[in-house]
Amino acid sequence: MSIPPISRALPSLCLAAAFLAAWQGYCTWAHVSPLILPAPSDVALGLWINRAVLGSHAAATLSVAAIGFTLSVCFAFTTSVMLHFVPWLRRGLFPLLVASQTVPIVALAPLMVLWFGFGLLPKVLLVILVTFFPVLVSLLAGYARVPQAYLDQLASMGAGRGQLFRRAALPIARPHFFSGLRISATYAIVATIFAEYAGARQGLGIYILTAKNNFRADLVLAAVVLSATLTLLLLGLLHMIDHATGRRYRRAVDVAD
Amino acid sequence: MLRIEYLSIRAGTHTLIEPVSLDLADNEITCLIGPSGCGKSSIIKWLAGVLPPELSATGTARLDAAPLAAPNPALAYQAQQDTLFPWLTIAENAALGLEIAGHSRRAARARVLPLFAPFGLSGHEASFPDQLSGGMRQRATFLRTMVQQSRFLLLDEPFSALDAVTRLRMQDWLCTRLAEHPRGVLMVTHDLYEATQMADRLLVMSARPGRMLDDIPLTTARSARTEASLAETRALLKSLLLEDTT
Repeated sequence: MSIPPISRALPSLCLAAAFLAAWQGYCTWAHVSPLILPAPSDVALGLWINRAVLGSHAAATLSVAAIGFTLSVCFAFTTSVMLHFVPWLRRGLFPLLVASQTVPIVALAPLMVLWFGFGLLPKVLLVILVTFFPVLVSLLAGYARVPQAYLDQLASMGAGRGQLFRRAALPIARPHFFSGLRISATYAIVATIFAEYAGARQGLGIYILTAKNNFRADLVLAAVVLSATLTLLLLGLLHMIDHATGRRYRRAVDVAD
Repeated sequence: MLRIEYLSIRAGTHTLIEPVSLDLADNEITCLIGPSGCGKSSIIKWLAGVLPPELSATGTARLDAAPLAAPNPALAYQAQQDTLFPWLTIAENAALGLEIAGHSRRAARARVLPLFAPFGLSGHEASFPDQLSGGMRQRATFLRTMVQQSRFLLLDEPFSALDAVTRLRMQDWLCTRLAEHPRGVLMVTHDLYEATQMADRLLVMSARPGRMLDDIPLTTARSARTEASLAETRALLKSLLLEDTT
């Protein structure tokens, strides 16, 4: 029934290879200026030659994203517990949080720099603002999915609110939490790059900006490739943590309530 | 003895259960039988302390004359739905009630494990619920309910999710377990066959609003009940339930 990973990835790999080949072919035969559209080989070459510089910028981006993402997850979890246990707070705060998502948060990046300077703080804050909401929503949605029969069963055994939360709500919310984490992780690197765009000394965002100003489209694309790689690494890490720690929580909850 | 005094349950302005008083003896199986929606489950949920918030109840429960506040460790409730947690092993599920009652994980486990053999679950201590058949899951649920050492079991249609054959087997099986570990049982069912087969006493409820139509003691020992006597009781139940036109 299960398809080996290599066969599952094969169609995607073939399509990606075909796309790269077509791109390479177009650049070669149509004599497109590398200033406008560098061929994949140019991008690869640029990436290789500038690997040390790109690497240090990527490391800066990754550390900001990681710090921001970690803080965001802790913050989202704490908030979710508070909102779960204090109904009036949930009723009051949740609509405001939803409304806050209509603000294009990346547009706040320049303001962050204006208020908090070029250091770590404005970038970490921006990552938190962008990644906080999906984690919070997934946790709250998870808590709400506990079948009433589970709660009744536990309550009849004498479980208090804390026990109900720990023994039923948290385990049920776990898969939802990881879905939220995956969504947030894809935003984390992008948000960091935006923050760096608005002003930074180090990082892929500022590197892209400089490369663009120097008409080095190949290096812009090289940085884009790196940022995508960082996101994939983050997703891979989450996948590994989920699989290593949560086999039992993936068992289907097929209770009709 | 578990006594219910003047229990009435309302859903908003509608009466779900008209005032009812009952005495339930220790170590006796009482089956509460009636049409769907007559409020049988609500009586059990009220005793278990898990009456849905949209229902309101008045009345008192007493255990040996002392008022009883629900939930109470003297009463073990078993919901109608399968409530084995899919992320816990069978042993962890079985120990859940004990752990919530304050036993350490180790102590709860030590109490639970010796019961796996008599409950027909040997070798499944580390299995997860989805690896077990419906009948085995039901046995594990009973294990979790019975290991709590309460005086009364409140069972809400315990066999409703099982296929016909497994259901017959499990009825016999539960009677045997209850003979080994005697408890007072209040069991909700709408299966006449199940009720006449298992009960020491039958309480018949009317359709909504629920009233007690009859209270029928079955004095013949379960093993001595003949097919004819069972059929006779079922016919009596049938006529009671069908003639009730409320």
